[in-house]
Order: sequence, then structure tokens, then C-alpha cells
Amino acid sequence: MPPSIHPVDLIGALRHKRLTPAIVFLTSRRACDDAMQAFQRSHTALAPERQQAITSVLDQLIVQYPSIGEHPLLPTVTRVGVAAHHAGHLPSWKIAIEELMRQGCLDAVFATTTLAAGVDFPARTVVLTQSSVRKTRDFTEFTISEVQQLAGRAGRRGKDLVGFAVVTPSPYIDLTVITKGLTGHPEPIDSQFVIAYPMVLNLLKAHPLEQIQAILARSFAQFQLNRRAETLEGKLDAVHVQMEPYGPRVCTDWISQWQVFEQARKQKAHRIQVRHREPPELAARLHFLTPGRVVGLPKGRGLVLRQYRSRGQRSPMVTILRPGGAVAECQASTVTQVFDRSFEVAEAPVYPWCTPSSLEELIRQMSELPVRIPTLPILTEDGEKDIAESQIAQTLNDEFPCPTCPSRPACQKDHAQALRLRQEVHRHTKTIQALRTGLWHRFQARAEVLQQFGYLTPTCHLTDEGEWARLIRIDHSLLITELIRAEAFSGIEPQILAGVMATIAHDDDRPGAFPRISPGLGSLLGQVRQLADSLAPHEDPPLLRADVAALTERWVGDPALTWIGLCRATTMAEGDIYRLLARTLEYLSQVHTLRATHPGLADTASQAIKVLRRGVLEELP
Amino acid sequence: MTTEELEALLAAQPMSLLQRLAQGRVHRHVRLGKRHLIDALLRHASVNRAGLESDLQALMQRDASAGHRRTSGPPARHRGRPPQAERHPAKSSESEPAEPATDLSALLEGIGVPPPQPFFPDPWQEEALSRLTTTDVIVSVPTGSGKTYVAIEAARRAIEADRTVIYTSPLKALSNTKFTEFTRIFGADRVGILTGDRRDNPQAPLLIMTTEILRNLLYDAAGGEIDVRLDTLGLVIMDESQYLADPERGVVWEETIVFCPTQARLLLLSASIGNPEEVAAWLTSIRPTACHLVRHHRRSVPLRAGYLHPNGKLVPLFRSVGIPHSHGGSLHPEAKRLFAQYEDETLRPRSTSRRVS
Repeated sequence: MPPSIHPVDLIGALRHKRLTPAIVFLTSRRACDDAMQAFQRSHTALAPERQQAITSVLDQLIVQYPSIGEHPLLPTVTRVGVAAHHAGHLPSWKIAIEELMRQGCLDAVFATTTLAAGVDFPARTVVLTQSSVRKTRDFTEFTISEVQQLAGRAGRRGKDLVGFAVVTPSPYIDLTVITKGLTGHPEPIDSQFVIAYPMVLNLLKAHPLEQIQAILARSFAQFQLNRRAETLEGKLDAVHVQMEPYGPRVCTDWISQWQVFEQARKQKAHRIQVRHREPPELAARLHFLTPGRVVGLPKGRGLVLRQYRSRGQRSPMVTILRPGGAVAECQASTVTQVFDRSFEVAEAPVYPWCTPSSLEELIRQMSELPVRIPTLPILTEDGEKDIAESQIAQTLNDEFPCPTCPSRPACQKDHAQALRLRQEVHRHTKTIQALRTGLWHRFQARAEVLQQFGYLTPTCHLTDEGEWARLIRIDHSLLITELIRAEAFSGIEPQILAGVMATIAHDDDRPGAFPRISPGLGSLLGQVRQLADSLAPHEDPPLLRADVAALTERWVGDPALTWIGLCRATTMAEGDIYRLLARTLEYLSQVHTLRATHPGLADTASQAIKVLRRGVLEELP
Repeated sequence: MTTEELEALLAAQPMSLLQRLAQGRVHRHVRLGKRHLIDALLRHASVNRAGLESDLQALMQRDASAGHRRTSGPPARHRGRPPQAERHPAKSSESEPAEPATDLSALLEGIGVPPPQPFFPDPWQEEALSRLTTTDVIVSVPTGSGKTYVAIEAARRAIEADRTVIYTSPLKALSNTKFTEFTRIFGADRVGILTGDRRDNPQAPLLIMTTEILRNLLYDAAGGEIDVRLDTLGLVIMDESQYLADPERGVVWEETIVFCPTQARLLLLSASIGNPEEVAAWLTSIRPTACHLVRHHRRSVPLRAGYLHPNGKLVPLFRSVGIPHSHGGSLHPEAKRLFAQYEDETLRPRSTSRRVS
């Protein structure tokens, strides 16, 4: 999303306040390019001597990197002294912009934040227009470290007395994130240790299995896990201290004993008391809720017409006649008071449960009730419950010692607390265990997969396959080594090998388009895809885009193809194509290291490398 | 009221009213911009439409009556605050609707190029270099405070002592930049570069490579196939060490540090991170010598923050000239007002165009 201020005005304002040179961070490559277009259309121009300075710097660079001279934005940059810098550009162009910035020839650079670490040039001012950054799919808010990384580009040592971070609003900026980022302390960093297959192979090549655990223990990951384990151990000690009063009693493991006893008792109790039981105060009151009784309810008084049990209701119900003549059903438990007054009711078997004349009489009598009526004193009888309890205890006595045990009251009292503490101990112990050995277990899991595929012997020594497979130290190494073992690459053309490596290497899902693909590469890609799917439980499959494979195949297959011609064949940005080919080169050179065991394949790889590295790709070391 | 109308009505309200309306309705509403806030309110409206509408009406009435008392608009949030007038005498006319002049002299004071002066290393740079003779060193300082000087100077001293130096950076592009820079300083015959697909002068005393390459070298050395002269390795400089926390590549930094030969010193250069002492403690626990931590938060070039309104007006972002250490309520009132005004304005065009279509 572009900022709300027009880019030309933005730079104008910065120039006016002497805040240039500036780096303007924008959300997308598109926004950077749009800003450059705005400048292309504008009529602003630098003073001739400054244009001259830019040209002279560029001329020197063009000698080293000829592709700069062909860049379409070259005249605009020279005229207005403003440039864009993002991952869609060729590295040589980015080097040129950085050099111009370092020499102080440019007034502003529009850059994306995605490559903030790669923007290795300072300026007097940094302009922030966003508070979040696109990561894989959706936008994530900047962390404090990220904001400081961006703001850190402001202020050139030796060239500026002060640096500036200028915030300008755009539709999706959150000022709080920016201010927090500028003022706060950076977040602590955490280890991101993952155990990959090449790591396992290389570790086992150099060290016997017994030493591996000690080596893993030296990682920052294990260091941080140990720290967490230590805090947990501190907590565990504290819990152990709390556990002290709950040590062994008549039986050593009284907590489990009591737990089992409790369970059995509950089950028994359930079996004996088949009928649902009311609480004692309600049970006692039920006898008095006879037809004609005046009772107190949460709102006003009422007169009981009948008492009944309904199938849908668990508790006993009463039908109440309200003073106004309304008849209502409610639970007996809602009755708050039972008054010492009752009237004669001529009962009837259907609604309203009394004869009409009697109902009228009752309504009249209710309206004449005095304000104060004495309540009935109701005694709750709770002997019944104890009887049931002792019954259960008796039946359980032959299985458990608890009912007659001398420490029974103590056990009963402490059990809940002791059980909670014991569970906490278990939980902490388990977590500590996991923290201490998790990394080692993950290593073992990886090693098992490698044994299964035959790279490792059952004693965890490298097999012949493992000896060469460990040299492939890139992402998706398992897929590549399995392809080599399946002889998928035997006798293929260099351009097809390059195409397959490109599609495995490319992990960007920005769309590109290139429909034509040779049948040989197409069928091989099908095979790769099948293998990648079958390896999915052990290794995340790569994107395997056919268009990048076709693009690379074309570049390697046709040595006469120019860079411009290649760029025309796809919608991918120049910088993305460059990165794709550079990464393919890296993968191919990994394949090339297998020359001792796979001379034919290594030879094909080196042929592909030779053709691949030409033109723009040859410019940089 | 249809949803469209409700949205238009919400869009017409000032931000302060929306914030009050969102209290208790929208989680973390103070963090949302206007559009997000309205979207969240509309989402809430699907649950309790009547409540939202009646509250909105009540708030609008209350604002209308308050509006009679106050002629114009500093947002309602500031009402409870003591006047800022004595602290900012230049802005006593702040509440006038016309764009008031804000005092920028403090913010913009001292812009310019410092007079050329002989270079003296900062005390922390000296400290890092002197400690490096005996121990590993981690440097965690803000971006742009002169880490490269430490790297160059340390490399120079190691080369003079006939030791090999390896310098790693996370990106190939950065490696190339450093290669050019170091070649200029040390001479082409003393600097080599190793990247994924290319090797130049691999026997040079100063080798620049990406961290992945160094990791591979160390693995090969551990497997018994010495590739580069690791026995004379005296210093490993790892630039941008905060990559240790990179989700995809952080593991490479760990492997490299774990397998780094014990006779070589480690110099970790990092941007400001939150827990450098933890990293130092880790290094101390696995390396033969205790690791020394050099850290500070002071930037060598002071940083100031400004807010640029879309109409071209520049105001300070914070009340203080520099950047304060905590952000609770430290925003400059004028920046706050302009930002609230921006959020109000950006919404209107969208809602009217909707109504037309």
C-alpha cells in the first residue's frame, strides 16, 4: 500500500527540510516501482552538476557491471536523483544504487522492508510508511528489533550530526507499533535449531554415535532448553517441600490408595442410591408443601395447589396459586419460606387442580392475608445420610483397609491437596525430561529414517550411499539423493538437470508464466513430484513449479539466449530470475561435489554450471 | 438502518467516538486503525446490532452537546489532561482549525555534516579489540555504530600475527560488498571469497564467505578432509549474528559456533538484541575461554523522530527532542492530532464512493 502522500511531494518536503538523503521503506515492490513512475512523469530535475556526478559514478560501475548500462530506469535516476531498490532488481543494479547512496549522489531510495538486512547503506533520514510486513502469506506486525533495524539506517557516521526517522501515514499503519518499536527494547532471540538429514550424516561421519548427544548438548537450543529445565527444577524442588507433610502414612502410597478407595466408594454409592435424593432441608420441607399451604417465594407469596414429580424435571415440583389468581409451576426448591397457615382446598384431578368455587374462595382468602405470618420451624433430619455412608463403608471393608484405618480422617482431609501436588510433580518431571532429551530424540528419529532408506547401518555408521549423500547439504537433500539413487538423472542433458534443480531450489510462490516445457523435462518432473509426495512424511516437499524449470531449461539449453530474451519469456521480475538461477547454480555445484562417486552426473552438472554462468550471472563473484 | 448505512455513519464519526464505542466490544480496540476498527465493529454488529446502534446514537448526541461547549476539535481523548500550553509555548494556538505552526527548531536543529575530525575509536571498540586477544567477544550495539571498524581492526591484527581470518555474513550480496571493501583495505592478494558456486583466492589470509560455506568447511574438516588451512585459523568474525534467531537459517549459525575450532577466537557482531548475555553465557559454556560481552544502546549519531502529514507538514513525533525510552503517552500532541485527523479523513472518500455505487 503506497503512502497517502504523493512520492514527489514526499521527497520535496524532505528536501525542503534538508532531510535528504532518505530511504523510504514501502510495503511492496509494486509501490516502489509506482513511486519511480511518478518521478518519471514529474518535471523535477537535479542541478546539472549533480546529474554529472551521478553519471560519473555510474560510468565507473558500468565498466565492471555492463548490465547497469542497459537498465531502463538509468535516465530517470540520473535526472531526478531518486531510485528504487528491491529484490526484483538485479544485484548489479542494487550495487549501483548502494554505491550512489554511499557517495551521497542520490536524494532518496524507495526500498522494501522485506530485505531490510540486505539494505546495507545509510542515509540521513529513514521514512516509515507501514507497521507490518508481508511474511509468506499475510501481514505480520513489525517486532521492535525490526523497527530498530529499519530506523538504524538513519544517520551516517561522520556525515550527519543527527539522523531522522520520519513516520508518514498510509492506510494500514499503526502508530503504536512504530512508537513502541522506536522506544522499546529489542526482543530476546531464541534458538531455531532444527535437525536436518545432512546434519545427521555429517555428524555421524565425524563422530561416533556415543558422542552425538554430547555434541547436541553444546547447541544454543539445548542451552536455552536447559535454562528452562533449571527453572522448572527450581519449581519442582518447591513442590517437593510442599509435599513433605504428605509423606508415607499407614500405607506408603496412601494417595493412590485413597484415590482408588474414593472411586470405589463413589461407584458403590451410586449403586445403592438408585433413587435421586434431595438435599436434606428440601426433603424436610416437602412434607409441609401440601395443598392449601401458604408459602413465601422469591417474589411475593403463593399458595400450594399440588405437589408432584414430573418426568422432565429432576427435582420435585409444586403448582402455586399467586395472589392475583395466576397459576404457576415451579420447583419446590424455589420456595423460600413455609408459613404457618393453610386453607381448605377442594382438590380436583385436572387443572387448576381444585374446583372452580374453591379457587375463587382461595383467591379471596389470599387477598385478605395479614402482612406478617409466622413461619413454620422445620427441622432437617440428616441421620439418613450417615446410615447410607456407613452401609457403603461396610460393604467396602473387605476390599479396603481405609474405612477402619486410624489415619482415615487425615487422609480424607489432605487427599485433594496432596493429589494436586503429586500431579504437579509428575507434570514437571515429564516436562524436564522432555526438555533435557528432546533434541536427542529428534536426532534419533532422523537417524531412523536414514537407516530405513539405507544411508546408515543399523549401528549408525555411514553406508556407501551415506558417504556421498552427506555432501548434499541443501534443503530437500533427501529428495535429491533419492532421485540420484533412483537413477533419474542417468544420461540426461545438462539443461534438464538444471531445470529439475531449479524447480527443487525455488521456494518463492510469486507467480510467473512460461508454458513451453520439453517432454523430457515434463516426464522427469512427474517422476520428481511422485517421489517428493512419497517422501512427504519425512521431508516437506518443495513447490516444484514447472514454469521455473522450463525457464532454467531454456537458459541452459540455448547458449545464444540473451538476458533480455529470457526476461521477456516470463512475468517474473529480473531479480527473481537472477536469484532462481543463482540458487540453481548452488544446487548444481553441490551435485558437482559427487564427482568421486557419480562422475557422469557431476560432469553433467559442471556442463550445466558452465552454460548457466554467463551474461548477468557472470558479473558478480 | 442497513449495514451500508451503519458503515457510512460509523465512517463519519471521529476516531475518539469510535474508540469509546468499541470499548468492551472489540478486543484491543486501541491498537486498530479506523478502517480495521469499523470492520471489527460491523462484525460485532452481527451479534448485537441493537445495542451498538443505540450506543452510537447516545455517543453522537453527547458529542453534539459537547461540541456546543467546545468550538473545535482536539479529540475528546485529551479532555482530561492538563493543558500543554506551558510546555509548548509556541503551540498555544493549537486548537485553531487552521494549520498551526509547530516549533520545529528543536527537531531540526543541528542538521548537517559534522566537521571532519580525526577518527578516534570509541571506548567500546577499544574494549572489544583488547578483549579479543584473550577471549571470544560478542558485540551487540545499535545498527550503524561502527561494528565494521572492529571487524577490520581485529582482522588486521590477526593477519599481522600470521593467522587466518574468516569473515562470514548471512547474504551473498553482503559478502560481495565486504569483499570489495576489504580488498580496498588489505589488497587483493590478501582477501579471498568463497560462495556457493565460486571461489577466489581461497589461500588468502582473510577469507570472506557465507555462514553456510563455513559450516560446510567445518564439517569437512571434522570428517578429515581439510579444505582450507583451518589449523592456522586465528579468528572467525560472524557478522549479523542476530541471524541466530532466523527461523530457516539460524541453525547454521549454531552449527558453525559449535564446531568452530577451539584455537580460533570468535567475534560475533550483532545488532541490538534483547538477550546478548544469554548468548554470551552459552558461548562461555561451550568454548575454552569465557566470552566477553560488549553492549550498549547509545547510537553514535543521535536519532530523532518526526511525523510527516500527507499535506506536507512536519511535526515532531515525540514530546522530547530525542527518542524517549518508553512510549506511554509520550507522543507529541500535534502529531497525535494530525494522525487522528488523517484517520478520519482517509475514511470519507471510501464510504462516499460506496454509497454512490
